[in-house]
Amino acid sequence: MTEPPAPPATPPGLGDLFRGMLMVALSAFGGGLSAWSQRIIVEQRHWMSNEEFLTGLTVARLFPGPNQINMAVYVGTFFRGLPGAVAALAGMLLVPFTLLMLVGLLYFQFHALPAIDRVLAGVVAAAAGMALSMGFKILDQYWKDPVALLLAAVTFVLMAFFHVRLVPLVLVAGPLAMVWYWPRPSHSQGPEREPR
Amino acid sequence: MRLNDLGHLLQVMGTFLGLSLFSLGGGNTLLTEYHHLSVDEYCWLRPSQFADIYALAEAAPGPSSMIVGLLGMGAGWPEGPGWALLSAYGAEAAILLPSTLLMVVACLSWNRLRDSPWRVAFERGLGPITLGILFAVGVKILQTADTNAGGVVVSLLVCLLMLRTRISPLWFMAVAGGLGAFGLINR
Repeated sequence: MTEPPAPPATPPGLGDLFRGMLMVALSAFGGGLSAWSQRIIVEQRHWMSNEEFLTGLTVARLFPGPNQINMAVYVGTFFRGLPGAVAALAGMLLVPFTLLMLVGLLYFQFHALPAIDRVLAGVVAAAAGMALSMGFKILDQYWKDPVALLLAAVTFVLMAFFHVRLVPLVLVAGPLAMVWYWPRPSHSQGPEREPR
Repeated sequence: MRLNDLGHLLQVMGTFLGLSLFSLGGGNTLLTEYHHLSVDEYCWLRPSQFADIYALAEAAPGPSSMIVGLLGMGAGWPEGPGWALLSAYGAEAAILLPSTLLMVVACLSWNRLRDSPWRVAFERGLGPITLGILFAVGVKILQTADTNAGGVVVSLLVCLLMLRTRISPLWFMAVAGGLGAFGLINR
């Protein structure tokens, strides 16, 4: 079969969406959630074309909310609107969230035990390293845009040293940055510059 | 007494409903705000507990925004495990509801949004701000988690390995947990 698979005659129902996302969540234990959702939604169930899936990733990253959760919402909305979004979201979250809540109950019950506390002291140091790496991971794409680096630096200094809260910061700095980056035909900047 | 608890639950949910639409860059931008609310403002958690909860949410499979469920659980814990669970599910539902509704609207109108100047300006303008916030989040978590030099060294090493290798972060947490158990990392 070299032909791309035809879209299914009947789009998935609410139950299918729930089970599909549950499958993604279960397969992705240990990581790689977006790779697994692509494999299951595009390659195994042929619900979407790869292009439609990638559009979903773009929308999911652009809008507020966790990317993987937004992706589930996209898949659900694509076929069944708001009810589909809820079904897909439930499938994606049910098992991981319930598991985490069980861990949470154990944590709040037993965290004062010295043995538990000693292990957690180590785990926490590693997790803090992961948190620190988040900014560095996306730094590369802004390296050639001095205005973006300045914006990032001012944001960082205001939050880290002047303890400015997130909501007022985004409400003031967001519109200012949007004005600066408003697309102008005569004046394009950054990596999206058209080749001549 | 119950009425008081219910009021508390609604307060927790209201707090997270208001934050939902500010979860840029996949949601991790909200971590300093979570810290401020749960440790400084409402005193649901001690700083070391906040660090623990962050680590648990990172280690668990699934989206890391599930940390909100654990924060809700911490808020409800004084009223007993039953209320803690209710508060946990309520908090997670609250943080997800507004962004989910917006996402549904965005999906349904994406064909018009895609080439809109608003979309372009939003994406390019909010990106650098997200970058700055993520660095502030990293520093805040580091300050909360590490109270001594040993911890800082482990954190910086893990940060470097995260950027330079493709090793699963679960290994870093497992090894560091072992070092902690043997008393090589303290707090």
